[in-house]
Amino acid sequence: MSVTLQTQPARPQNPLTVAPFHQWIFPDGTEWTLFYRLASGYLLRFADLADFSVTLDGGVITAWPAPGVSAATVEHLHLNQVLPLALSRQGRLVLHASAVEIKGRGVAFIGESGRGKSTLAASFATSGARFLTDDGLQLEWLDGQCCITPSHPSVRLWEDSQAALISQAVALAPAVDFTPKARLLAGDGLAFCDRQQPLRRVYFLGDGTSPSLTIEPVRPAQALLELVKNSFLLDIKEKDLLAWHFDEMVRLAELPIYYRLDYPRRFEDLPRVRAAIVRHATEDPDELP
Amino acid sequence: MNLSDKVTIPAQVMARTVGDETVILDLASGTYYGLDPVGARIWQLMSEGQSLAQLCGQMLDEYEVTRENLERDVLALVQTLLDKQLVRVGA
Repeated sequence: MSVTLQTQPARPQNPLTVAPFHQWIFPDGTEWTLFYRLASGYLLRFADLADFSVTLDGGVITAWPAPGVSAATVEHLHLNQVLPLALSRQGRLVLHASAVEIKGRGVAFIGESGRGKSTLAASFATSGARFLTDDGLQLEWLDGQCCITPSHPSVRLWEDSQAALISQAVALAPAVDFTPKARLLAGDGLAFCDRQQPLRRVYFLGDGTSPSLTIEPVRPAQALLELVKNSFLLDIKEKDLLAWHFDEMVRLAELPIYYRLDYPRRFEDLPRVRAAIVRHATEDPDELP
Repeated sequence: MNLSDKVTIPAQVMARTVGDETVILDLASGTYYGLDPVGARIWQLMSEGQSLAQLCGQMLDEYEVTRENLERDVLALVQTLLDKQLVRVGA
């Protein structure tokens, strides 16, 4: 399975004759992505940034930047938004989550944008552990074991996280047009794990209102609903795909690995948060029932 | 709707038991719903084809509850499921 990206010359985003069947909207009501069905697959429109077509089998993505939009912006949208959706057409399970490798165990952090997924991943990757992905977590069953497949070796961080976490020189990808977040490339200062790791813990990140660090088990049904809510899936109106995806999420939810993690969001507390996670994630023998 | 009715589950509705709860997916809308352990037991008995009266009889043996309260709760849950088109009343 693979996905090929073809980038075409810039073109204006002319209105389409069909209505979108789905859309992603920002909390403030702004449209972020419009999803259209085409005879040959799908068209994803990021307003004033780029159009992407995805073939039905998810194998080929074609990008058309809007006039004046940089190649870096197209690459960023491709990696973080379009590629995970294309992979979902190929039977891959992809979640809005970051993940790190701690002592041979895959540990994932799931949460809405702004909950600190990337900050945690970068915090581990700058202090002895390695990151597997900063979003678009890909999962695969191998010999009855659920494994994390590493994705692109970069982490997107807001300026404050970058300033707090990154002390030595780390290479940056070129800036993009729609977010001030920088994309930091893996290297000596930001360690990346390029091998699959068994998934051993999933932490759903709270909203930071907890006055102290808390780690609490999550019921399987609650974990299932959270997994579904945080899945990349193209397209959710296709019943066979939705039914398959639901059963895959049920299989995943039955693993005894789900916890809710919350802590006050203070950069100076991160070493303590990391230590608690390491302790918690490695407390069981390295075998699941 | 009354207690002699049987409830059926449309083909577009998937339900899976996870732990002691049930999660339902309505494939038509792509919407998910959760049932707590008692709701999950009601759903299970309904999906086995029991009438609501039979189901209540079975659950009276299993839970410490008065018939009146149980029947009221079962009818309320079924009405909610009907409103969301997750079940149909009748064969």
